[in-house]
Amino acid sequence: MIIQQRKANDILPSEITPKSTYLNRRKFMTGALTSAAALATSPVLAIQSAEGKPALSSPNELQKQILAASETAWGKDETLSPYSAVTQYNNFYEFGTGKTDPSRYADDFKTDGWKVEIGGECEVKGQFTLEDILKPMDLEERIYRLRCVEAWSMVIPWVGFPLAELLKRFKPLSSAKYVEFTTIEDPKQMPGQRSVFSTIDWPYKEGLRMDEAMHPLTLMAVGLYGEILPNQNGAPLRLVVPWKYGFKSIKSIVAIRFVEEVPSTTWNDLAPQEYGFYANVNPKVDHPRWSQASERRLPNGLFSANRIPTQMFNGYASEVEGLYSEMDLRRFY
Amino acid sequence: MSILTAISNKITSVPVLWRRFTITGLSALPAIYILQLVVRIQTGEWDLLGPEPGKALVWLTGTWAFNFLLIALAVTPLYRLLNQRWVLVHRRMVGLWAFLYTSLHALAYATFLLQWQWADITSEIVKRPYLLLGTGAWMILLALALTSTRWAQKSLGKRWKTLHKLVYFAALLASVHYLLQIRAGWFEPVLYTVLTLVVLLVRNRRFEGFWKKSDKM
Repeated sequence: MIIQQRKANDILPSEITPKSTYLNRRKFMTGALTSAAALATSPVLAIQSAEGKPALSSPNELQKQILAASETAWGKDETLSPYSAVTQYNNFYEFGTGKTDPSRYADDFKTDGWKVEIGGECEVKGQFTLEDILKPMDLEERIYRLRCVEAWSMVIPWVGFPLAELLKRFKPLSSAKYVEFTTIEDPKQMPGQRSVFSTIDWPYKEGLRMDEAMHPLTLMAVGLYGEILPNQNGAPLRLVVPWKYGFKSIKSIVAIRFVEEVPSTTWNDLAPQEYGFYANVNPKVDHPRWSQASERRLPNGLFSANRIPTQMFNGYASEVEGLYSEMDLRRFY
Repeated sequence: MSILTAISNKITSVPVLWRRFTITGLSALPAIYILQLVVRIQTGEWDLLGPEPGKALVWLTGTWAFNFLLIALAVTPLYRLLNQRWVLVHRRMVGLWAFLYTSLHALAYATFLLQWQWADITSEIVKRPYLLLGTGAWMILLALALTSTRWAQKSLGKRWKTLHKLVYFAALLASVHYLLQIRAGWFEPVLYTVLTLVVLLVRNRRFEGFWKKSDKM
């Protein structure tokens, strides 16, 4: 007779937030917000711009837009990593190098009045507020696997829009071959940027080839788990490139530039032999100090490391392998 | 210095057995703390140490192994500073605790991260040379622990001292083992390496002559 025993540290299904629960919560909050808006002739909502659109966008506006996000088929069959894992185990060196530093030190990070500087090889340039960026966007929810270069992974329900939708609005020129992204540099708010022990040359920079940036999988996220993006996860605006190692998915973006040459990127500058510009998830190309053949799907337990094989392009090969058909991925890691 | 001597004199007057009990009790505290973490994680508080508790425990035990190694290495310099024999009496015990924490660290690695999948270890070692260095340090400490008895001391004679000087090599291995794992936060690995070098320098250069003349352990 086989007696199945639950190991004490196995994660109970009940410990993982069921999707229906947080989706219900979204519905509940949508309801609450719309009824609140209907009841109160709210001064904020009443201020309308000439085009009849709200001139002011409050977190409420953003929350409403996030709650209205449409569901997509992406990652429907995946088991989500719990909210606590997603929001309390982060690499965001601007707030410290420890995994719990971002959730500990990002609470007071100010994202109001957020602006993004658009420049380089494009017709439409200048400063855009987060509201400008979000106004015409229909948000959608996508559940993506996130594979960190450190050989752990999670499954995260993001809310955002395809980066391509945004980039098209700036009318990139044919000379635009790459897109460069920059994270905010604000040492007053970011202890990691003040630290004398940091080896990073701030601000954090990342980049994509134009076709990677325009790929329909590439997402610009403003929310996760049906809520506004927590500060430690890169509020208010972050990139999500699911077939690349996590460090490519730059957080708290303040500048986007269209450029002709490969932009310099933070980790590639710091250790080029360890972190390539492309950084595509690839089980066959190891990090010099560890294997990339498998990954630890988090959360795991003490006696169950939850190690699973890493998939080529993090399992998105059928969508993206065409981008690299001519390339030697051992050389361009 | 006079305050130190005064404190030291006080300690000398405490019976040796009591001192041993105190040292044992204090040294066991981190192990008890780590054990209760394991129990709590296993009984429901699964995210007590975050979503990767095994890794967190490997780092925690590694930190304490290094702490005790440094304390053990500091015993002789402290003895020189105070010139009181009571310090030296406890050197073996502190060294054995360093071995115990290093073993806990290795056990935590084998259990939580390797999951006793020895087939993986060959590729792990090739990919991660720091594992070899850590294993080397642990094996040295194992040899020293096994030869820490009076009987071994007597039967090894002069060779005992030569053998036990390998502890410095173990400390250097541990430092490189730590340094090789730096990604961007280099403060702690560098701090431990500097402390190791300080202890080694104090012992081997400045006091070398003194060491050869007076140490009869």
